[in-house]
Amino acid sequence: MDIWEKLDGIDRRWIYLLMFISVLIPTIFVVKFPIELTPEAEQLYNAVEELPDSSVIMLTFDYYASALAETEPMSIAALRHMWRKDMKIITLSNIPLGGPTIAERVTREIAEEFGKVYGVDFVNLGYKANYVAVMHGLASSIESIFPTDYSGTPLAELPLMQEVKNYDDMTFIYCVADNATVDYWVSIVNAQYGIPVGAGVTAVMAPKMYSFLEAGQMTGLLGGMKGAAEYEKMVGALGTATIGMDAQSMSHLLIIFLVIVGNLGFFMKRRKSKGAE
Amino acid sequence: MRTTIPIIVAFLAGTLLIVSFFFNPEKIWIGDAKELALQWMTIVGGFALVLGVVSIVRVNARAVQRKSEGWFYKLMTVISVFAMAIPAIMPVTKESVGGSIFYSIFPESCMGYLGTGSNSFYDWLFNYVDAPMMETMFAMLAFYIASAAYRAFRARNTEATLLLLTAILVMLWRVPMGEAFLRLFSDNLPGYINTYVMGGFNVAVQRGIIIGAALGAASMSLRIILGIERTYMGK
Repeated sequence: MDIWEKLDGIDRRWIYLLMFISVLIPTIFVVKFPIELTPEAEQLYNAVEELPDSSVIMLTFDYYASALAETEPMSIAALRHMWRKDMKIITLSNIPLGGPTIAERVTREIAEEFGKVYGVDFVNLGYKANYVAVMHGLASSIESIFPTDYSGTPLAELPLMQEVKNYDDMTFIYCVADNATVDYWVSIVNAQYGIPVGAGVTAVMAPKMYSFLEAGQMTGLLGGMKGAAEYEKMVGALGTATIGMDAQSMSHLLIIFLVIVGNLGFFMKRRKSKGAE
Repeated sequence: MRTTIPIIVAFLAGTLLIVSFFFNPEKIWIGDAKELALQWMTIVGGFALVLGVVSIVRVNARAVQRKSEGWFYKLMTVISVFAMAIPAIMPVTKESVGGSIFYSIFPESCMGYLGTGSNSFYDWLFNYVDAPMMETMFAMLAFYIASAAYRAFRARNTEATLLLLTAILVMLWRVPMGEAFLRLFSDNLPGYINTYVMGGFNVAVQRGIIIGAALGAASMSLRIILGIERTYMGK
């Protein structure tokens, strides 16, 4: 077996080992490569920044725990940004497992940092089945869809919910998602009720979102961990996304290297077999 | 009868939601009817979840009973369903539904561990069992993607070569180290990739897919409302 044949057939266990090393080393020895901002991430940041202080904003936690590495830093950075502007935040989730629990944990953690009070500065509505009906229903009355919050407290007992009855009382919807619910926030809530929608989504979802962005139906976009790292940079509170970018850089470079090596082996082998003919 | 009633319900619900879109809900009775229909939809959605739980328990319990292959894992599935669900639906306070009876039997010290709030049993299971497992499964993809990219991403023809080059450019553009590398060639290169690849070719293709899917969804909805499409009834 010559070198080219070897390059064309590397055992997958070596690839797994290389991937493990390429993630492990940058996670231990963090370099923090400078992160360049993309226009769509800046657009989302500016959209929130330009909202009046103390305005009401809806932050959705439409993601499962599997996508936490990409999406949770977005939620954390968004909460920090919003509370720096003293905004009132309503969270909800269209995901039964994960979203409401993550929203509860993350919002309470960041609320402590800013001294925010539950019921006055933020409310977690939790989850209700059938997100299309939920999105339409919130347009007429939040209370008709969510009679109680996530922990079962009637909305009538929460001071913030006395001021917020439907979308008309909100200024922006900041959707963090790892699935198709973001399409519906755009096509139902933005298109039919006219509320600006911005989104933070996983890297695999980001290409689809560009069509909404280009059409002006979406106000800003964070794509994957890079998007989260960009938002962290703009907010000025570096977090796990910024740290994770080193490992992601290395793993991307490893994949590119493997693709090049694989193709080199493939071409040389093909040339050799053609020569033999 | 078993076919006619669902078709009538689908027709009325679909027509109501379509018609209500064209009227001001505050000025006409149809607005209230629409709101009511949406509330019903969330309730029906809740029942669909219950149906899902019943189905998963039934299928797995039967496999456990027959001791079919992998029965132990199916048993774990059933146990996990109940371990997550039961503490979550128990009354959190004496004032909750059934709370007074529950807390006359069980000690009040249970209160903090029930429901879905912080520090509850459900919360603990989610944060320390479910979430790490889901994250681990997702993280494993990195290994498979690397291996698959090495094996399958070959420039066999012009289309595959174009796809490969675009993928490499986007992968470089999406990470700081790659972006720094691209800037060695031109400071504008990352911006060009964003503008022309993501905002240009990508958008053109995505729009085609989105519009196609939306037209498909609209025609399917119309078929259901008019009773032509009956596969949702198992027909």
